[in-house]
Amino acid sequence: MKRRHLVFVAEHSLAIALAVMFLAPLVFVVLTSFMTSDQQLTSQLWPRTWHPSNYAEAFAKTPLARYLLNTVLYAGSATLLMLLASVPAAYALAKLRWRGRTSMFIAIICVMMLPPQVTTVPLYLLWASWGLTGSLWPLILPLLAGDAFSIFLLRQFLVTIPDDYLDAARVDGAGEWRTLLRVVVPMAKPGIAAAALFQFFYAWNDYYGPLLYTSENESAWTLSLGLASFRTLHHVEWHLISAATLLTMLPIVVLFFFAQKAFVQGVTLTGVKG
Amino acid sequence: MRSRFLAALAFAALVAAGCTPAANPQPIATSGVEPTGTVEFWHFFADREAAAIAEIIDDFRAKYPKVTVVVKDSQDDAKMLQAIGSGQGPDVGLSYSTDIVGKFCHTGAWVDLAPYIARDNIDLAKFPETVRSYTQYRGKRCAMPFLADTYGFYYNKTYLAEAGVTAPPKTLAELSDLAKRLTKRKPDGTIERAGFLPLWGFYEFSPSHFAPVANAKWLNADGTSAIGTDPAWQQVLRWQKELVDWYGYQNLEKFRASLGDEWSADHAFHKGQIAMMIDGEYRIAFLRDQAATLEFGTAPMPVLDQSRYGAGYVTGNVIGVSKHAKNPEAAWALIRYLTTDTGAIVKLANGIKNVPTTVDSLASADLKVDPEFKTFLDIFSHPQTSTTPPSAVGPAYQEQFTAFCDRWQSGNAKDLSGGLADVDKQINQLVQLAG
Amino acid sequence: MSTASARRRQSWRRRLVVLSFVAPALAGLVLFLGYPLLTAVYFSFTRVDLVNPPQWVGLANWRFLLHDPNVRLAAGNTLWLVAVMVPARIVAGLLTAMLLNRVRHARGLYRTIFYLPALAPPVVATLAFVSLLKPGTGPVNTMLAKLGIEGPLWFNSPEWAKPSLVLLALWGVGDLMILFVAALLDVPAELYEAANLDGANAWQKFRFVTLPGISPVVLFAAVTGIIGTLQYFTQAAVAASVASGEATTGGGISSTFGYPEGSTFTYPLWLYVVGFRFNALGYANVLAVLLFVVAASVTMLMLRRFNAFAGSTR
Repeated sequence: MKRRHLVFVAEHSLAIALAVMFLAPLVFVVLTSFMTSDQQLTSQLWPRTWHPSNYAEAFAKTPLARYLLNTVLYAGSATLLMLLASVPAAYALAKLRWRGRTSMFIAIICVMMLPPQVTTVPLYLLWASWGLTGSLWPLILPLLAGDAFSIFLLRQFLVTIPDDYLDAARVDGAGEWRTLLRVVVPMAKPGIAAAALFQFFYAWNDYYGPLLYTSENESAWTLSLGLASFRTLHHVEWHLISAATLLTMLPIVVLFFFAQKAFVQGVTLTGVKG
Repeated sequence: MRSRFLAALAFAALVAAGCTPAANPQPIATSGVEPTGTVEFWHFFADREAAAIAEIIDDFRAKYPKVTVVVKDSQDDAKMLQAIGSGQGPDVGLSYSTDIVGKFCHTGAWVDLAPYIARDNIDLAKFPETVRSYTQYRGKRCAMPFLADTYGFYYNKTYLAEAGVTAPPKTLAELSDLAKRLTKRKPDGTIERAGFLPLWGFYEFSPSHFAPVANAKWLNADGTSAIGTDPAWQQVLRWQKELVDWYGYQNLEKFRASLGDEWSADHAFHKGQIAMMIDGEYRIAFLRDQAATLEFGTAPMPVLDQSRYGAGYVTGNVIGVSKHAKNPEAAWALIRYLTTDTGAIVKLANGIKNVPTTVDSLASADLKVDPEFKTFLDIFSHPQTSTTPPSAVGPAYQEQFTAFCDRWQSGNAKDLSGGLADVDKQINQLVQLAG
Repeated sequence: MSTASARRRQSWRRRLVVLSFVAPALAGLVLFLGYPLLTAVYFSFTRVDLVNPPQWVGLANWRFLLHDPNVRLAAGNTLWLVAVMVPARIVAGLLTAMLLNRVRHARGLYRTIFYLPALAPPVVATLAFVSLLKPGTGPVNTMLAKLGIEGPLWFNSPEWAKPSLVLLALWGVGDLMILFVAALLDVPAELYEAANLDGANAWQKFRFVTLPGISPVVLFAAVTGIIGTLQYFTQAAVAASVASGEATTGGGISSTFGYPEGSTFTYPLWLYVVGFRFNALGYANVLAVLLFVVAASVTMLMLRRFNAFAGSTR
């Protein structure tokens, strides 16, 4: 009895300590967002005077609402396209046997290995020749081909699904697409949810992509680009950037809080054994 | 099958790589033509400063109603280069540093403005010589100066008075002396207040800003590095090391780590943690804003040889016409207005608090000047004031040298002349690579 | 109908099915691997400035690789980070995930809190973290002093700068943690039951049930961690600028890269500087190709060693 109590207290103490450490720098951002420009980045961490007006000012100085819309469109469509293309590819790499499978798997991983500073140059020239720069299309359209990171991730999750379930479906006469959609996807929900969330958050916070392709067209800016505009030549307005950052984070934090229940649905297996 | 596929890819890559859109070699019009058309203007300012520029552009629009100006702010050099490289981009571009002049002139990304200057009888003598030097490369004048930053010396009058000194130091020897006298240490030996913080890279104390103090040379006429062969550099570095060692390098680094951010109200000079420092003219506005009770004075930087006193470092924004400009006449009209029209320049200088770049605007009665700011205007016009020369490798020579200076001041590099010779070699190799 | 032709028809149908699954990804491989890689290799043999057509220079760029002192420093820093940051993050991610799965109350809240740092935009997140650890103005050393400990100079010390970057990365371990949470939940419950019946203790359960069950995800974390750390750029650049006292969002801050004393100068930073600031873009492509080769070799070794290619047997 006592031992369980001790363990309970130990676990929760640890969790709380970690929570404090994880939150501390973010508390710094919150505090900075209420400061005057003079107090930012000084040793006085607690705002001398409180300025919730910083949030209004951040809204007033830049069209955050439009940036928000662009960001939602970008992140949403990128995630959707990524899933449509990546889940089948990952399934084929994980559960189907075919010649060239290993080569393709290696090639997918290799996509991540070229430094972005270098891949962007030829790709930018390509998109420019198609007249698509100045918009978010160069960032969204590539997801039609899936995303290397997501494919790799999904493949690893799918590999853990026991073959017995697939065999059972095949014995019942189901084709591969049916097996994927009816049997595999429900079982792979945690992995798929993880991949979707990662893609969404990556696009949401993506700074260099929109910077490269949309900086000359302000109506296509995303929130991350908007964050960087709170500066003058010799001065960065961190207090406003902090306020805008928290506003930017709010939607995805809320999204995560509600979506992480999808992880909770673990795989419960009954019956079929190998 | 695989090798054919690869070959097709290789071919496609070669074709794509070789295909850059051809430039628009329009002959320049004869004088008297009224500029028309659209000009897209990119600059890097944001926020309040962008608003200041917008005002000037409105004035331009009033003067040239047939020209439509589209302004995009917050665009930086990298973005401009990529855009020009892909055949698009601005017609007129503004850069915040002179680092790109070498490259943009050399590659033709910005066009040579000499024909326009000659045709419109622009008197280049209206620009101080230093300013002329950082807007051209190897005889090609592909940029015009926009506004400038001048660097000089700030000192805390109160601290100097405590030590019985009324005038700021004029030579490096005097600077060391005064720095040592004004330094206060804590009982455990760590620094409480530094007379002068001589670490390269601290705030604005950098070899780039300090070179004019000794007339130290960066590049030879052919673009190769002159650092190893100029004795002035060795003198500066030995002077600096002597002062660093007096403080103790570790003590200095520890002290430096405890200081506030340069762009915050905790700036060490604002808080009285350092008594003297090198900085640009923009610091005046920050001091007035954030440290109103601090009694500070401005002066030229202390120099190696007294005859050079009054000289300083200047750098500036530059503006040019892209090779893909569809209406080069209109683009040139905009640049000419922004860089030679005294009224426009003075308005800009007052709005952005930088130094105006023409002799006429410097003398203009509309220019808002106070005694501290005047110091910088004087430095700007001083004949021995210099800048970091344009190079095809951008700031490479400065940054490779600064990396050596870091090793030198920490004691990791012990062979001064050998180390500098190595720096020369590295820079020359980079120059070869970048053409 | 002969069985041979029936089999052939079946195998063609099979190939079509597989193709229907991988066609988009295959197209992506051509566009986002083949094309940039070939361009990079081609550019590495040229002098290229994006404005004029590239000029062939043969091995000149590659030869510079042998004489370049910066690349040795940069590669050393990056390899150190790979060797330390990747395992540290995996262990930390796994431990926090296991802790989270054990805690009974407010699980959702804890998960969100632990994941928050990973959700913050990298520039602001790094600024906040480094500011807290700044020796003079940040609160961490002040608190340590109250406990009687003299705190190190963290991001301002050449010896502590890289370990501080690892701490920064551990602070952001939420993304790995989420993966492990999902993976841990995927391990079939009855395997644990069976192990309990066999009388296994906690460590044995971990070693023989948990680890094998989550190993594909651990491998994923290792491979993507290595590849990602080989490209570690933004946080190193921002941390150096904040620590050196010139916190900016960008715009020519390369003068502070590597502060202090080059200890945070990573390989991608050098690639960026030499290619885009010093205009030696051909040489930057040399560095990129080299990075690719190293990353590919390390990854292949790892995947082969851990037999990751064994997917399914159908």
